[in-house]
Amino acid sequence: MRFIHLADVHLGAVPDRGCTWSSWREGQIWETFRRVIAVIRENPVDLLFIAGDLFHRQPLLRELKEVNYLFSTIPETRVYLMAGNHDYIKPGSFYRDFQWESNVTFFKEEKPVCVKDEKLDVYVYGLSYEHQEITAPLYDDLRPKDGEGLHILLAHGGDAQHIPMNVKGISASGFDYIAMGHIHKPQIILRDKAAYSGALEPIDRNDLGAHGYVEGHLENGRLRTNFVPFASSSYEQIILTLNEDSTQASLEDALDAEMGKRGRCNIFRVILKGDRAPELLLIPEKLKSLGNVTEILDESRPSYNLEELGKQYSGTLIGDYISFFLARDRNVVEEKALYYGLQALLETSR
Amino acid sequence: MIIRQLVIKNFGKIHDRTLSFSPGINVLYGENESGKTTVHTFIKGMLYGMTRMRGKAARNDAYSSYEPWENPSVYGGIMWFSHKGRNFRLMRNFSRANVQGELLCEDDGSLLDPEQGTVEGILGVSEAVYDNTVSVAQLKSVTGQDLVRELQNYMASYQGTGDNSIDLGRAMQMLKMSRKGFQVQEDRKKKELEKEQEKIGTKIEYLRGELEELREKSAQVEKKEESLRMKPGEDDGEAILDERIDKIRGKKAVVGMGTVLALFAGAGSGAALIAAMDMLIPGILCIAAGIVLSAAGFVYNIRLGEELERRTRLKARWLSKQEKIKWNKETLGEACNEKETAFRNLQAEYKEYVENAYLPSLEEMEIRAINMAMDTIAALSGNIHDQVGIRLKKRTSQILSEITGGKYQEVLMDRNFHMTVNTSDRTVPLERLSRGTMEQIYFALRMAAGELLCGSEPFPVILDDVFGMYDEERLAAVLRWLHKEQKQIIISTCHKREMEILEKEGIPYNKLLLTKE
Repeated sequence: MRFIHLADVHLGAVPDRGCTWSSWREGQIWETFRRVIAVIRENPVDLLFIAGDLFHRQPLLRELKEVNYLFSTIPETRVYLMAGNHDYIKPGSFYRDFQWESNVTFFKEEKPVCVKDEKLDVYVYGLSYEHQEITAPLYDDLRPKDGEGLHILLAHGGDAQHIPMNVKGISASGFDYIAMGHIHKPQIILRDKAAYSGALEPIDRNDLGAHGYVEGHLENGRLRTNFVPFASSSYEQIILTLNEDSTQASLEDALDAEMGKRGRCNIFRVILKGDRAPELLLIPEKLKSLGNVTEILDESRPSYNLEELGKQYSGTLIGDYISFFLARDRNVVEEKALYYGLQALLETSR
Repeated sequence: MIIRQLVIKNFGKIHDRTLSFSPGINVLYGENESGKTTVHTFIKGMLYGMTRMRGKAARNDAYSSYEPWENPSVYGGIMWFSHKGRNFRLMRNFSRANVQGELLCEDDGSLLDPEQGTVEGILGVSEAVYDNTVSVAQLKSVTGQDLVRELQNYMASYQGTGDNSIDLGRAMQMLKMSRKGFQVQEDRKKKELEKEQEKIGTKIEYLRGELEELREKSAQVEKKEESLRMKPGEDDGEAILDERIDKIRGKKAVVGMGTVLALFAGAGSGAALIAAMDMLIPGILCIAAGIVLSAAGFVYNIRLGEELERRTRLKARWLSKQEKIKWNKETLGEACNEKETAFRNLQAEYKEYVENAYLPSLEEMEIRAINMAMDTIAALSGNIHDQVGIRLKKRTSQILSEITGGKYQEVLMDRNFHMTVNTSDRTVPLERLSRGTMEQIYFALRMAAGELLCGSEPFPVILDDVFGMYDEERLAAVLRWLHKEQKQIIISTCHKREMEILEKEGIPYNKLLLTKE
């Protein structure tokens, strides 16, 4: 027995609106979902679990038809599908009356039900969101039925507004695997027993790192799961550390090389760190034109030795300025203010 | 502080040289390139160390410039000085390989490491303040206009910053430029956001239009349904049509029957008349009437048949029309729902996008930081102005009056850093003064600043070729003033004028001769 567990595909999402790569990413989200189906077609699994938020918003009828068609191409795989908080079943939602292929089981209600798989000794439990938020812990009191076989729960949520969960407790009540959705970062909650597969493709700039799905199989009667990186792009952080020899051009070259190394289809957040030459006036914004860069956080600062400068200039404005800031517990803005003012005073002095 | 003696072991071009200073006026005489500046740098280096700059700047910093070519492992010397009644011996070696230092208090024999800022601690004067007070260089400007600006800058800097090397105006300008840069970036981003928002808005409007069109069409279909009486019930169109067809069909059956009956009746009664009563004529007439009647019925029946056909065709047509309308209605309804969902999705997207646009941007943070820097500089500078500015003006005026024999009594500076000088009876703008007078104002300002910035303990003043533009009378007045103040003065010069006038005025001084090696 083999299964694939995925979640948070967010079909229809438009990541990074306004950026040049935005519509390309919108297409990638669909494309990657099709690729998963193609993978299953090549090497069929018995079960496919989609633990919510297949769609970013309310699905259109044609989108449901599209997805249903894709499911029809993997007739050997039984698909278990639920609506999450993003694509929750609104009154009038197309989810309500949609006629799914015979290999698809869609959980229609906001009430846990158990479905016994036709061919395998597998019991699948699940529900769908009919509201954007559900604060009741709907999964916590769920108990698997008496029956030989695997008991698998599809669960979406886990935070206070979206069905809070005591995963350990639920697992201990006898579920063999909890296929979880909602949190975009892939993470194992209980080894081989409960996991967030994470978003199939990262949806926004905060979804850093690898994305994909979870694959599971029975091995000598024991369930084994592993994460399969599958997304076509990832959001990554590049930290560039400046030193006193750094220049605008050297920084641009370094970033360009790093983006080349990591893959130019990825999307980057750049963080500048380190101490730069005081006279260097950086234009961080220019780095954005080199590739898919969402934002540049400039945490670098002029290489001033504050203590020494404070001593050297004590009794003058610069000395007062330094001690004014050194005496405070500086937040980010104050830290920046210190260096902006100091640089201006020192760089313009006669 | 009083500098008592220097032993320059190896520093720049000077090797193994001993210079002893008096606590009063010292004249350090030497031709150009004889090493006067080297002596100044040595004194400052001894007190504050020779910090090496990092990176590229190190190539021509003071450290490299004075590093001896020969025997570079010895780079430094010894300095004896007194401060607040205590005597010190300070030894330093700046050599890269062998940095060493030793500060000995000769009174109690305590030893300190001068590397840790101990000298600064003892003197209570920072390097920047030293630069602003102890060492006085010549005004750099050549032309009158530049000179005015330079002097006003000095005054403004002292007043607002306590440091004549700071250019507050330019520093603020630089900050403003940076802020402007971020402002431009932010505005551009905001515009992009708005554009994107508009794009979504346009799409929403487009969808709204489509949706309305579909609804309009639905309304039309509804009307058609009404006109075709498609609504099931008593007035059902289909029932009406069926009723009409049935009527004709009934009529047709009656007429058909009548026709046959008429024929049979005519023929029957005719034949009976002829056969039974042998009434030939009436019989024939009867038959004929029957024939005529049935013929008429026959013709009418054909007409009714045609009518029936027409009605049946009509019904079929109506049915197909109804089918089409029904189908239309369904597709329209479906399309409406689909568009409605898309419309609502896009509305949600728009709302989220607008909400996100209100999050503070990175640029905003930079702008806030720059504003804070500017506000802080302004506030601190205001403090210094309050503490130093007024006293500085007062003392400068006093010194100027003393060295000009009361000719100029007050130095004033307005909000726009414009300087004027008061004589006993009028106010003269700086531009109208001679170079010599401006040099005197500069001198007065430097001396006043030195006193104010150094605190209670007087510091030596090194005057580096500052009297070049003074005529004899002015120079004599200044020297008399210096003598009166009883400070340690080191006059660094390549002229003999100062010594000649000192001798003429009978002012004692200590002569130090530097010669090219």
